[in-house]
Amino acid sequence: MFYIFSIALVICALMVVVSQHPVFSLLFLVASFLSASVLLFLLECEFLALLFIVIYVGAIAVLFLFAIMMLESKLSNLSRNMMKYVPVGFLFGFFLLIPLLSQIWSQYDQNVYSDSFYFNNYQNWYDLIDSTSDIEVYGQVLYSYFVLQFLVAGLILLLVLIGVVHLTNNFNSPQKTEQSIFKQISRDSTFFFKQ
Amino acid sequence: MINEKKSLGLFSLVSLKFFTVFPEYFISISLIYVLTVVFLITYSVYSLILQKAVSETMVFILIMACYLMVNDDLLALNFLSFNNSIVNDYFAFFTKFVICATASVYFLFIADSLKYQRLTSFEYLLVLLFAVLGLMLLCSSNDLLTAYLAIELSSLAFYILAAFKKTSNYSAEGGIKYFVTGAISSAFFLFGSSFIYGISGTINFTDLGDLFSLAFNKSAVYNSSFDYSFIELGLSLILFSLFIKLALAPFHLWSLDVYEGSPSSSTFFFAVVTKLSIFVLLVRLCYLSFFNLHNCWQFYSLWVGIFSIFVGSFGGLKQRKLKTILAYSSTSHMGYALIAFSTSTFEGVQMLLFYLVIYMISGLCVWSILSFLRLKQTNTEQKYNKELGDLALLKNSNAALVFCLSLAMFSIAGIPPMIGFLAKMGIFLSVVGVSFYFVALISVLFSVVSTFYYIRVIKVLYFENLLVGRLYHPINTKKPAVLSFLIFLLFFLFLYPTTLYLNNYKTILSLL
Repeated sequence: MFYIFSIALVICALMVVVSQHPVFSLLFLVASFLSASVLLFLLECEFLALLFIVIYVGAIAVLFLFAIMMLESKLSNLSRNMMKYVPVGFLFGFFLLIPLLSQIWSQYDQNVYSDSFYFNNYQNWYDLIDSTSDIEVYGQVLYSYFVLQFLVAGLILLLVLIGVVHLTNNFNSPQKTEQSIFKQISRDSTFFFKQ
Repeated sequence: MINEKKSLGLFSLVSLKFFTVFPEYFISISLIYVLTVVFLITYSVYSLILQKAVSETMVFILIMACYLMVNDDLLALNFLSFNNSIVNDYFAFFTKFVICATASVYFLFIADSLKYQRLTSFEYLLVLLFAVLGLMLLCSSNDLLTAYLAIELSSLAFYILAAFKKTSNYSAEGGIKYFVTGAISSAFFLFGSSFIYGISGTINFTDLGDLFSLAFNKSAVYNSSFDYSFIELGLSLILFSLFIKLALAPFHLWSLDVYEGSPSSSTFFFAVVTKLSIFVLLVRLCYLSFFNLHNCWQFYSLWVGIFSIFVGSFGGLKQRKLKTILAYSSTSHMGYALIAFSTSTFEGVQMLLFYLVIYMISGLCVWSILSFLRLKQTNTEQKYNKELGDLALLKNSNAALVFCLSLAMFSIAGIPPMIGFLAKMGIFLSVVGVSFYFVALISVLFSVVSTFYYIRVIKVLYFENLLVGRLYHPINTKKPAVLSFLIFLLFFLFLYPTTLYLNNYKTILSLL
């Protein structure tokens, strides 16, 4: 199960980069997020897995989809540039990957019990009576041990909010951008169905 | 007074631990306060220009933070707080003070030039204050997670600052480039720290130091059984991400475009204020946590340092744009600082700190003069970035400013009656002290090469046979007083370097 989804994650992440059409690569991105969240489910971090699905798939991917729909894409230009940069990218990738893999193989042994991992899972009966759920644990750790980091994360969000509001707002131009429904509907639909 | 407080016992200590980050608390609360007040003022009238008032408020806030730090009776010195994630030693204290003082002078200098650069919205100064907050937090962070959050806080502010001018395409380009390289460097930082966490199970600097200093005793048990190469891989990934942030030589290509493209006041900030705290993180990481892995980080930092001195010295030779010259100069200065860092002796770290403080002072001088100068131009041609030729014949219109600029250039180049000479010589001495003779020789030679383009600026200022030059707007009298104080410091510290020198020595001794 773990192997299936981790292989699926790697393939999806590869396809995000490789695929030519931005919508397809976005769909592969969603698929890779889903498989990563399944991996988190298998590690019994239910809250994090649900958070992954809700935030990444639900919010960020949809946001990307809107951005891609809004922007005019220059596909031919993209593919030409890509062929130019692929060999260099592979070169650097291999130089990074080889020492990483050799280190990982030399440092971490195969766990001999990994096949019987789920059979050896024992049930702690006290947990059923007096248990703290994932969210409670996260809350307790976040508000006690990592309170300063939590505050700094809040400050980062505030900063990003201020910056984004400034960079996207246009106070100088008096005319408001209106939604021209006719133009949206009658847009050329070949963008999505081009061969 | 102090004895009275100490006698309060454990209860006071428990409440005291929250005061270890008191300047940061002060800055963040005043930041939210300023945000609320200015928002309420500009809610109805957006086009109201509050630039000068807000920037003077920022100067006031930072001077108050300096005052808080000076009047801190250091009761909680060498005290880990917030689950050991914040360290409050003299090193953090000194660097935070330097950053606050530099940033307050910076806010004072840019207050007028913002209006002429058409950066009139108040968010600019708020974002700058966020960046200062992140840099200060980085100085006192004691684990990788806090350090990462502080780096993110400051560098997100930098991206916004680089892209702040919405009407300019160069600014947008600079912002995007800065964002992409910064995102890659953050990814490498997280990757490396995940390696370190995976092999050692902790991200705390003091815990890592305790863990790996065991092997330093050369006891056979720890040395034979443990293989350090995985930790070295993680450490080198973190080092590379920090080198990208510092714009050192193989990773410096973003800095040229970003420095040239972003508005001048943002470039001023990137070049002067931001470098110190990343070096503080490097010193904490390498000297406190991974000192016995010094074979690894010494190798990388030595070669990256030499290469960035090389690139910084030879790259600036053909440039005619002032900001790009200063970007190359900053790359070579970071290279000198890095070879002082790579000596793995405490004298080296002392020289590093000394050099960085001098770098910040002379950088403040040069960049402030560049931000004071405002070309008289018609409305049809708008030119914000200055080229070298624009400075010709400035000596006829403003002789004192030209004199200041040439003195600051001499100091950066390292000519003896200025403090830059002592700083550079200290670095070469510390490198010779660990018998890296070849490195010292090469960096001295490159330093001679880089003197060429500093002297060329002075040549353009004084010895240019031209009849037609640019005209500049006059400068008001308040800020040149601060500037002349800084120029005076460049002289005074050469005559009495012991004040700063001994202070740095005390700072470094607190690391032991």
